[in-house]
Amino acid sequence: MVKIRSILTILLFFTLFNSNASASFKLGKNGPSVSGFAETAIGFKFGTDTTLHDDYNMMEERFQLKTKWYPEFMDILSDYMAEIAFKGDMLIDGYDEAEANFDLRELNLALSPTGWLDLKIGRQVFTWGTGDYLFVNDLFPKDYISFYIGREDEYLKKPNDGAKLSLYSKNINFDIVLIPFFEPNTIFTGERLSFFDSFRQSISGIESNRSLIEPNQEIDNIEFATRLYRNFGSIEGALYTFRGFYKLPRGYLNEAEKQLLYPRLDVYGGSVRGPVLGGIGNIELGFYDSKEDSSGDERLIENSAVKYLLGYSKDLGNDFSIGLQYFHEQMLDYDEYKASLMQGEFNRDEHRHLFTLRATKLLKSQTVRANIFLFYSPSEKDAYLRPSIHYNVTDDFNISIGANLAWGEYDYTEFGQMEKNKNVYLRARYNF
Amino acid sequence: MKKNVLLIAVFSFFFYSGSVFSEPTVQEIVNKANNVSFYQGKDGKASISMTISDNQGRTRKRVFKILRFDIADGGNQKFFVYFSAPADVENMVYMVWKNVDGNDDRWMYLPALDLVRRIAATDKRSSFVGSDFVYEDISGRSLELDTHELVSSEQDTYKIRNTPKNSNEVEFAYFDVYIRKDNFMPYKAEYFNKKNKLYRTIEALEIKDINGFPTVLKSKATDIEKGSNTIIEFSEVEYDLGFEENIFTERFLRRPPRKWLK
Repeated sequence: MVKIRSILTILLFFTLFNSNASASFKLGKNGPSVSGFAETAIGFKFGTDTTLHDDYNMMEERFQLKTKWYPEFMDILSDYMAEIAFKGDMLIDGYDEAEANFDLRELNLALSPTGWLDLKIGRQVFTWGTGDYLFVNDLFPKDYISFYIGREDEYLKKPNDGAKLSLYSKNINFDIVLIPFFEPNTIFTGERLSFFDSFRQSISGIESNRSLIEPNQEIDNIEFATRLYRNFGSIEGALYTFRGFYKLPRGYLNEAEKQLLYPRLDVYGGSVRGPVLGGIGNIELGFYDSKEDSSGDERLIENSAVKYLLGYSKDLGNDFSIGLQYFHEQMLDYDEYKASLMQGEFNRDEHRHLFTLRATKLLKSQTVRANIFLFYSPSEKDAYLRPSIHYNVTDDFNISIGANLAWGEYDYTEFGQMEKNKNVYLRARYNF
Repeated sequence: MKKNVLLIAVFSFFFYSGSVFSEPTVQEIVNKANNVSFYQGKDGKASISMTISDNQGRTRKRVFKILRFDIADGGNQKFFVYFSAPADVENMVYMVWKNVDGNDDRWMYLPALDLVRRIAATDKRSSFVGSDFVYEDISGRSLELDTHELVSSEQDTYKIRNTPKNSNEVEFAYFDVYIRKDNFMPYKAEYFNKKNKLYRTIEALEIKDINGFPTVLKSKATDIEKGSNTIIEFSEVEYDLGFEENIFTERFLRRPPRKWLK
């Protein structure tokens, strides 16, 4: 009932905005312009497991408002090119008893105090690196529930409360990001998406009762990420560092209590991206130093690793483009890892190989975007296919249809554990 | 015979106030027309509104601002394209480093993801933002790609035929451009397909002098085969604002230089 009412509200909203057919509106005469969207989305699920609902894993209405404001009431604000950004979502989540939740996506202040310095403070999304849905040096938090149920790509990235300081010079630029409040990836809990629970050694739903213990909020736990970058003609080079925590619970705090923790992690890496063979090529490398298991013999904590990826994308003409990636992850100190395992304990491979393919075709004067994205790992014997069609019916109204299809020979692999969560989703969005 | 030539020369002298005795060569015409179309001033700015109408009369609108910087007249350039409408591309930014001798470098900034994406876009004949203009119409087509031939020289117009050196790379067999003699402004282009049939036109609907530079303020591209057309309107056009080449970097891709966009 609640559900029907909320859909009606949205429809009413659509009608209201359609009637005056104006894109965005202004607050006051010279005030900031406000825009946003109203969206309804449903994801039908096939695959029986023990999550809360058998038939669907997404059923929600979302209402987003965003605005940018350039305050100029003091000279210093205009001198510093002050910019205040706000973006907030009201989400009526029909999956979870139609609770309305407010999700503040952005609220930040950007300043350019000098010609060589930018500052952005507040809630914001951080992104860097060269991968396409694969991340080596981007250790900023992600929402994999949103990703697997078919929300818009925007929701893969989670915002942080933090600050970004950028320094520019003729030859080199430097970003430093400070994250005082740890924010992990949003991962499966068994309520909406079933997953492989290592405590239960099986794909689990609501019966999963592990707990994830986040680092305390203290000065020592502030995360830092830096990027040093420059262009060499058309080629972009960057060096990265990160000091913080794994964004996934890659360590056991207390096995008996089924407690997992986010171990300390330092990452050092680099990337190069530029034109090659008529397309764009990229290489990215990262060394993951698992600080609480430096020698690899700590059974309960993730080992250090080296990750790299190679990517290539090309425009084949007629609005058709493809992208290929190869990703390799090697666990370091593998012998120590094996030696530390208990008898009968699950034994991970030293190497993980992953290939991805993206193909995108635009049709009907670029109003239709057909896209597939495939992950395939020969070493894990699993795969994940994301086909989608996005249609801009008008400038303001669009619909998306897509699917999230994961398979795997084993229950414990990244995509294998998602096998029961396959869905086909539909989203309709009205922008204003 | 000799006398006549002399007479014409003398006439020309008076009529053209000493500038030319004979007609410019084809190469001079296309060079000048190219500069007038794409390289006015050292830099430039414009607010652009595109109205795309399909064969059923449905319209779509694209609104964006362009900042342009010329590294050399007739040579490489750098661009920013800041989108403000439709809503789903609001605040998205393109950065283009146009390389006349090869593929352009293109980046796109997606603010919702804070993502700077490199775009592998080599097909310059694909539609620009879904309109009837293609990328090359907006950023210019390298003169080196075609051979140019003066088809006619009427009272006030040169008609130049441009035939691609490599016909496999493009959808047209040739295109004719009509260029005004007084200011070398092209005001019409007609594209012919391999069956020698006119299938596409671009027409300047309004040309005005801005800061002494002849400037197209309104232009229309028509796809005769599809029955669609796009009207592009330029406003707030300014030249020689004085920004530097170094604003065309990731910094200003993420954070638009408001000073130049106001």
